[in-house]
Amino acid sequence: MYPYGQKVRAFRSRLILLTGLLWLSVTMLFAQNTNQYSGTVTDKQGETLPGVNVLIKGTTNGTATDMQGAFKLTSSNTKETLVFSFIGFITQEVQATAGVPVKAVLVSSTVGLSEVVVIGYGTQKKTSVTSAISKVKGQDLEYLPIVRIEQALQGRTTGVSIASSSGQPGASSTVRVRGTTTINNSNPLYVVDGVPIDNGGIDYLNSSDIESLEVLKDAASASIYGTRGASGVILVTTKKGKEGALKVGSGSMSVNFNMYFGTQSPAKKLSLLNATDYATLRNEAAVNGGQPSIFPDPSIYSTGTDWQSTIFNNGAKIQNYELSVSGGNDKSTYYTSMGYFSQEGVVATSISNYKRLTLRFNSAHKIKKWLRFGNNLGYTHIKSQGSLNTNSEYGGPLSSAINLDPITPTVITDPALANSPPYSNHPVERDANGYPYGISSIVVQEMTNPLAYIQTHQGNFGWSDNIVGDIYAEIEPITGFKIKSDIGAKLAFYGDESFAPVTYLNAATYTTNNSYYRSGNRGFIWNIENTASYTRSFGKHNATVLIGMSAYVENAIGVNATYKNLPVNTFNEASMNYNLAASDRVGGGWEAPDHKVSSIFARALYNYKEKYLFMGVIRRDGSSRFGSNNKFGIFPSVSLGWVASRENFWPQNKVVTFVKIRGSYGVNGNDNIGDFQYMSTVGGGRNYTFGNDNYVIGYSPNAPANPDLKWEQTSQMDVGLEATFFEDLTLVFDWYNKQTTGMLQPVVLPGYVGANGSPTGNVGSMSNKGVELELGYHKKIGEWDLKFNGNCSYLKNRITDLGTVQYITGATFQSSAYEISRLAVGQAMGAFYGFEVLDIFQSMAEVHHYKDANGNMIQPDAKPGDFRYADLNGDGKIDASDRTFIGDPTPDWSYGFTISASFKGFDLMIFAQGVAGNDVFNGLRRLDIPTANWTSDALGRWTGPGTSNIYPRLVAGDPNGNFSKPSTFYLTNGSYFRFKTIQLGYSLPKKIVNKIGLQLLRVYLTGNNLFTFTKYQGYDPEIGGASYGIDRGVYPQARSYMIGLSVTL
Amino acid sequence: MSALILGVLLLSSCSKSWLDVAPKGTALESNYYKNAEEAYNGLIAAYNPLGIECGKTYSNKIGPLNSASDDCYAGGGSSSDVPAWQVWNNYTIDAATGIQADFWSRNFIGVYRSNLLLQKLPNTSMNDSLKARYVAECKFLRGYFYFDLVRLFKNVPLFTAPVEPKDWFNATQVGPQATYAQIEKDLNEAIAVLPATVPASENGRVTKMAAIALLGKVILYQNNESRMLEAANLFEIVNSSPNYALLADYGKIFRPDNKFNSESIFEIVHTAQAMMGWESWPNFQGNLLTQMCGARSFTGPTYVAGWGFNPITPELVAVLKSDPRYKYTVVNIDSMKTAGLCSYEKGYQNTGYFLAKYAPLKEFYSTIGGDPVLNYPNDEMEIRLADTYLLEAEALVRGGGDLGKAQVYLDKVRARVKLPSVPVTLDNIKKERRLELATEGHRWFDLVRWGDAPTVLASKGFKAGKNEILPIPLTELSNTMLVQNPGY
Repeated sequence: MYPYGQKVRAFRSRLILLTGLLWLSVTMLFAQNTNQYSGTVTDKQGETLPGVNVLIKGTTNGTATDMQGAFKLTSSNTKETLVFSFIGFITQEVQATAGVPVKAVLVSSTVGLSEVVVIGYGTQKKTSVTSAISKVKGQDLEYLPIVRIEQALQGRTTGVSIASSSGQPGASSTVRVRGTTTINNSNPLYVVDGVPIDNGGIDYLNSSDIESLEVLKDAASASIYGTRGASGVILVTTKKGKEGALKVGSGSMSVNFNMYFGTQSPAKKLSLLNATDYATLRNEAAVNGGQPSIFPDPSIYSTGTDWQSTIFNNGAKIQNYELSVSGGNDKSTYYTSMGYFSQEGVVATSISNYKRLTLRFNSAHKIKKWLRFGNNLGYTHIKSQGSLNTNSEYGGPLSSAINLDPITPTVITDPALANSPPYSNHPVERDANGYPYGISSIVVQEMTNPLAYIQTHQGNFGWSDNIVGDIYAEIEPITGFKIKSDIGAKLAFYGDESFAPVTYLNAATYTTNNSYYRSGNRGFIWNIENTASYTRSFGKHNATVLIGMSAYVENAIGVNATYKNLPVNTFNEASMNYNLAASDRVGGGWEAPDHKVSSIFARALYNYKEKYLFMGVIRRDGSSRFGSNNKFGIFPSVSLGWVASRENFWPQNKVVTFVKIRGSYGVNGNDNIGDFQYMSTVGGGRNYTFGNDNYVIGYSPNAPANPDLKWEQTSQMDVGLEATFFEDLTLVFDWYNKQTTGMLQPVVLPGYVGANGSPTGNVGSMSNKGVELELGYHKKIGEWDLKFNGNCSYLKNRITDLGTVQYITGATFQSSAYEISRLAVGQAMGAFYGFEVLDIFQSMAEVHHYKDANGNMIQPDAKPGDFRYADLNGDGKIDASDRTFIGDPTPDWSYGFTISASFKGFDLMIFAQGVAGNDVFNGLRRLDIPTANWTSDALGRWTGPGTSNIYPRLVAGDPNGNFSKPSTFYLTNGSYFRFKTIQLGYSLPKKIVNKIGLQLLRVYLTGNNLFTFTKYQGYDPEIGGASYGIDRGVYPQARSYMIGLSVTL
Repeated sequence: MSALILGVLLLSSCSKSWLDVAPKGTALESNYYKNAEEAYNGLIAAYNPLGIECGKTYSNKIGPLNSASDDCYAGGGSSSDVPAWQVWNNYTIDAATGIQADFWSRNFIGVYRSNLLLQKLPNTSMNDSLKARYVAECKFLRGYFYFDLVRLFKNVPLFTAPVEPKDWFNATQVGPQATYAQIEKDLNEAIAVLPATVPASENGRVTKMAAIALLGKVILYQNNESRMLEAANLFEIVNSSPNYALLADYGKIFRPDNKFNSESIFEIVHTAQAMMGWESWPNFQGNLLTQMCGARSFTGPTYVAGWGFNPITPELVAVLKSDPRYKYTVVNIDSMKTAGLCSYEKGYQNTGYFLAKYAPLKEFYSTIGGDPVLNYPNDEMEIRLADTYLLEAEALVRGGGDLGKAQVYLDKVRARVKLPSVPVTLDNIKKERRLELATEGHRWFDLVRWGDAPTVLASKGFKAGKNEILPIPLTELSNTMLVQNPGY
């Protein structure tokens, strides 16, 4: 914990600029022979190129390469210039000497020229794209331990910030595309093969089934999904079968098997006080508070209990198995796969783990020349156990391990103690030997022995079954004119089971009646999309026009039941088959009303010679979430591009081979609020009782109505530059300015209004501005294949308007009277708010000298060792009005890079990412439990003049509020740089694997989360989720080592 | 053909009606309150804040008031257990920390729901006399909630209709005179209509007598000596009513199996029937004070373990010790422990003495469902006959009324517990109120209105001119026109 302001700007774009410009020479091998010229032609990736024209310069003497990319020519000269030309590649001249085989490597005429990107309802050539779209290719994700697809985006794309919510297996991440767009819900929209997957549930995807991920970042690209495009759109395309005719010998079928297996441990353990130090500090605090010493001889407690190690698992297993079969012919293609993934948690493993089974079947068929048909279908079963708070200071094994005193033993082995209260007269938890788990009499409330807690949560789990798919038909009555109809659906079944046994964990945490809970829910989304498009070239004019409509419906239902007072007391024995009294069987249910969206949209793409580019999109959306006067919203966008390098005046050169400048502007919308927010609904639960137990349900409005509720709008301007240097180095630069207006958010009413809830209003504005830089480099030098991809994003998020309120209270900090974050105009989302610590009073003289303008002491009650707070309003006292904005949890900078190199059969991949310019709030220790343990930085507390200017004295009651006042003391620079993944692989030589009938046999070693560089002392500075940037005892990330095997038939 | 289908779909998808989704199982404010049943549901919602036990924190009305008075300490597990109670106990209460946010919102929720129903009822189709009764009940409740607001906060905004959106952030406070005038008007209008008695199944609903008693208190609390006889006359109506009589057995007044007894004038009802679990926070229907005031980790006869709040001060024990009401007011857990009958954990500010009137008795520990600690059925005795006897005696003494009648009422209270008569002086009435009504939540209000709080509560840190009222909650000051109370 360091005072705010020491911003380290260590990791910045210069890392990205280290673009491996080390390998910059094109190598051609050639030698002499008499009259024979031969050789092979490959692309930069080393794939042989069949059909390349080879011509002896200045003659008509030529040939084409065969299927293996080989050619032979004869000439009368001993030296010739050979000209290699091939569509899509730069024509290349090579000085050849007869008799020496030529190895020609053709460079794609523009890197990525033929690459297409998915743009929503279609694809577009990358070189002609006028909007800001980032792409992650599935091949870059192969073999990586990526559980959820959002992790695939971290550090791999610009403009996307990802923060994992915890190290719990399967935990989701906070995903923000170009910053936090709105106060209410800034999650991007996921569209999987055309099916919008709203409200999470994206973890059903297996990352190895991904063909590509496209992030639509600017308004122009996202406006085709106008409705909910404001916070960005992530398009997921799953793998399709490929027509296999080209690969002679392997038939049209490809079979891949990939697996990895590994072991994990917590990446970090907190340094907490041992029992002797703990007792010493408790004594010190008591004496400082004028109370008698508590522990006569601290040394007798020795080191005591290390609660963390009782729940940490340094050998948690992780494993993954995937099998896919794909192939096809010119009529039909298919891709089918299955995967199984299982991960044990590194904390409290028996109640923290995750299993996932995925199945996929995608197929496409050309029934007639003008008729296509296809489907994408995935099924996923997930079972997860996570019966512990993953980032909460209130109870649970992690928080207990941090806050429990180290004096209490894990188990009570002393028979005298075990036979006295509370062990003798309560249903306490016991270990396998029958010894009761130690119950702390020092730290109580809901801090309980984590081993006992784990025992009472055995078996509890959540599950889900997801079926997501679509089928489509497309007709093409005239060449270029396509009509497509696509029906997609997501059907999700999910629920959870838990059993609460009769138990006694401590005086404040006990259960006297057991209960068994089960819930079953169903969520259903369907959407239908019809589009008509026409693509045609008129001379040098190329145009595509698309019109379409879509309708979307989402709803959900659920039921649950609780059985109480079961005759058994463990999860495994619990059953709902027991015949219990009706009063012991309580049922519940719920349903979410239809959320409907209907849309019509149109898009025009036009370019002249692929040089002058234009895209215009307009979409009109109607949503069931608004009243009749505001049902519909219109979202337009326009974007322009200019490929300067295609101009005639552009000099033919090898330094800058491609340059495109593009700009876009557009408006997106957001209806991501609950249903019926524009109405005032009446709800029950305001009950009262008359007579002897005549319990009556009372009804009153849930919140006042707001009939004028309308779409939240986000407009965005984007200017981008794309360039290719030396044919190998690609650069993408973007600047954007995103403005959200009419933010949908609850209008927090004063208590005197007496309303139950808050109405939703179009209140406030937010601004996000930033720049993004993406660099790519790919070079093959001899047998070396080198790749570098780096990116860096800068973001500045500010709230620009909040309507009538001056601020909105943000996160709270335990029992502190003061919130720790506020939303306020001019501040970033989630900005920390609190007192400013100047330093520590070293003496009474300093306390006396700390005076206001009138000569009055500002902190008259302070003692040496207490914090000196800044009297910001200058009123001569320290109170609530001396708080200010002291930090920001959102990083200014996020960056990442991947370096891959392969040589012969070996390959190495290093992936690192980091953030800079954010603060973390360290809220690990419980304020309302004065007896809670401390982290070891408490050893550096103030104990006398000059001992510390950072960590205050410890004193019972904390009269100066050193700890209870949220202040700069609790903030640490949250910048980090992490070597996320390092993978070393070896592929057996083709000759050998071909002999045993395989295409590929690769073994690999992966290390994940190996090194993290940060100033933050807690578990991890990366804290997403609901408690963004606030460490309340976050589940530590796992460091894992895995061995993998990949086989292709 | 396809184009035709596409065209049809395009048209149909644009239709507005397709996007009109009606809420199911959820009524709308705009079409609710149309009949007697819905009006009744709205009435229940207006009663509901009476029984609110939690908001931001634990806020049973009696417990924090006990902590603030010289009857009890805050107690609990530690000095930081439920800070809202602690800071009222040691008078470090400030705008940010304290019970005020909960007390403020509970009463304004009540005001809003009463106002809402008063606004809706004219358009409800229902029996006219029943409607008149609902109107009267709403006015009583509005008066009741404003009475708490004005005596706790003094300066509050006054609403007689739901706050319009344009005024959400514009309301200003009025002085206590205006608020008291509105309360009196509401109560007088209610008294004219309310039934004298209610059937047993409606026990807990307000009656004419409850409204009269409340009006008497409202007048008495204004400390205007010239109106004391007016208050006394109101109390006399109640005290002379044949509907009420002191219970012979003082120990039975608070027992959940003796609800709505002959001494009960207005009672806040709690039930175990709601079978609430923790997930229902903060909408519990049981009496949480009962759980909170039990001894921590208690194991022994009669009582269930609680959380150790509201330990009784040694001063109260000292004055009660020789009084016959002692054993019905104080549970001496320490002596039980010394006798080897029980074990318990000494909480913060432990004195060994615990509340008897709301004690967690084993026999009322719910077994029907929910978490029993949240489902104690102990009612709160908001106004009971001994209270109105003593209030009338006080009003008569202060207003220069019939001292003989005052003596009769003071004697009745003492005679019930076999105590001899003492002269009816203001001092003796104050002493009697303390003993008779100990730990029932009246003491702090009494000390403040008598002007005795600065001296009696000096040791707790009470500051005259400041702590007579609570601060306006900090969150209430942001974005509004409200002004903080002096001293905070």
